[in-house]
Amino acid sequence: MITSRERLERVLLRKTADRIPVDMGATSVTGVHVRVVEQLRRATGLPYQPVKVIEPYQMLGEVDEQLCDALGIDVVGLWARKTMFGFENQSWREFRTFWGQVVLVPDGFQTTLDQNGDLLIYPEGDRNAAPSGRMPKASFFFDTIVRQEPLDEAHLDPQDNLEEFAPYSQEDLAHWSRAVARYRQTSSRGLIGSIGGTALGDIAMVPGPWMKRPRGVRDIAEWYMTLVARPDYVHAIFEKQTEMALANLEAAHRVIGDALQAVFLCGTDFGTQDSQFCSVDTFQELFLPYYRRMNDWIHRHTSWKVFKHSCGAVEPLIESFIEAGFDILNPVQVNAAGMDPRHLKERFGSRLVFWGGGVDTQKVLPFGTPEEVEAHVVRQCEVLGRDGGFVFNTVHNIQANVPVENVMAMVRGIRRANGS
Amino acid sequence: MNDILPRLSLCVESGKVNQAAAYPPKMKGQPGADELCREAIAAGVPPAQILEEGLVSGMARIGERFSQGKAFVPEMLLAARAMTAAMAHLRPFFTSGEVKRRGVFVVGTVAGDLHDIGKNIVAMMVEGAGWEVVDLGVDVKAERFLAEIEKHPGCVVGLSALLTTTMVNMEKIVADIRARHPALNVFVGGAPVNQEFCKRIGASFYSPDPQGVVERLKTLAA
Repeated sequence: MITSRERLERVLLRKTADRIPVDMGATSVTGVHVRVVEQLRRATGLPYQPVKVIEPYQMLGEVDEQLCDALGIDVVGLWARKTMFGFENQSWREFRTFWGQVVLVPDGFQTTLDQNGDLLIYPEGDRNAAPSGRMPKASFFFDTIVRQEPLDEAHLDPQDNLEEFAPYSQEDLAHWSRAVARYRQTSSRGLIGSIGGTALGDIAMVPGPWMKRPRGVRDIAEWYMTLVARPDYVHAIFEKQTEMALANLEAAHRVIGDALQAVFLCGTDFGTQDSQFCSVDTFQELFLPYYRRMNDWIHRHTSWKVFKHSCGAVEPLIESFIEAGFDILNPVQVNAAGMDPRHLKERFGSRLVFWGGGVDTQKVLPFGTPEEVEAHVVRQCEVLGRDGGFVFNTVHNIQANVPVENVMAMVRGIRRANGS
Repeated sequence: MNDILPRLSLCVESGKVNQAAAYPPKMKGQPGADELCREAIAAGVPPAQILEEGLVSGMARIGERFSQGKAFVPEMLLAARAMTAAMAHLRPFFTSGEVKRRGVFVVGTVAGDLHDIGKNIVAMMVEGAGWEVVDLGVDVKAERFLAEIEKHPGCVVGLSALLTTTMVNMEKIVADIRARHPALNVFVGGAPVNQEFCKRIGASFYSPDPQGVVERLKTLAA
């Protein structure tokens, strides 16, 4: 029998394997909300333990080795040293959430309540700084607090939007070195890495939630307008960012090596439910040249496959994603306009790996019956898994409101599709 | 001077805010929505005509292009910015009653949800279609909507949700509104929302895009 790593390897080469490999929890866009992780532990008969929040922004829970075994998960993640709020995942302590769950959070997870009872979180865990994230009382995760300083059109300086793109520190490199050594000793699963600094204009990153005082264009609407109204400013940012990314990729590759099978390069969303955030021409002009340089470097110097995340109706852009050198598309939002999995598989399946699309998460997974979920998953696997090139994952993270029975039905569906 | 309203309309559609704005490059150095609206008022063009033929028509054209996939979120935001610059000059005429709005649209993103780009675009389009918009922002609870409905009898309410986890709050808010105002027009929208959900929770109307909201409002105001 082949290992999970070998299974992923084959599928990333768009070959078939003995079964479809499964990712649930290896990245910040293929994860599971901490509430569901605890329920899954109970449903699979694992002993109770408070679950670690490994990604505080979206409150994703750790899917550990025990749960990977119980659910048949094939892929694990190599994560950046610091979280979206700029603190390290270390020195764990208990924390009670709005929904009454006791979870483990790192010491840097410093919060206060505002006058409405909403939870505020602070960059680098520094409560003397202005908060950079807010979790409303009725919510299950944080959203960024935009801290846009007044923009002076005459003195806009791309350097202000480049502050976060610095050379990887010795601590970063040592972190990856240790993580890879541990992985090599203990795991036979596939490995995808999120090493950071390579996403071009990811709207989740633009407000800089890990920074104490972000400068430049940090407001979400302002950034979208900047893409069209200030293209020179954006080119200047992407140019410098790409130079830094190329140096960082080289440094990271030196310590990580070919342990990594796929790299999560960019999570910029180009799709809405029914359309795109920009035209194909804008993508080609503004984004593609920089992606191309990063992807070309990766393909020339490593064995890594490159993972592109973009929500929404991106069908018109997929040809350009391929031209830019991306190997893998995620989350394959199958219910968005034009994203019919049959069509995607036929048109792009010989050139692209689909990592996601295994179950619709806007309707079927949260609101369907377990029977509907299972049948839907079997169909998705048949379509997307034909001739290989498919890693099972939900469309984006499994949210807090998804009934655990439906997640277990999803796992049954995968097993049925795999003939086991 | 005869062509001032078509020019204003083009500025709104193209996102040309004012003369100093560098965008769009092909209109560089030309007067924008700000200057042209001021000029039209000074020239004695009736404000209602400025609103209709300058602002509403420009926003309608960008809205149609957006619906057809020929314009995108950034272009919509830029058009709305130009529209807002012009609208500022018309506000005194709304206050004085010289220009009547078509109605009041109370809009907000539902409790627990902080996403507002889609809601903002709808709000701007509706304002650009001649309605008074009361934007309650994000994370809005039922009580807040109910309080605004009391202040604006006969208003239309718009609820937005981007998350499957907050659709349940949308359902509760619609139920609370319906308990007191069974006949009120309550519109719903947002990425995971669809016609089926709209019907199930007892909302009046769903549109996948802002232009659909504007078209529906036209039928109500007519």
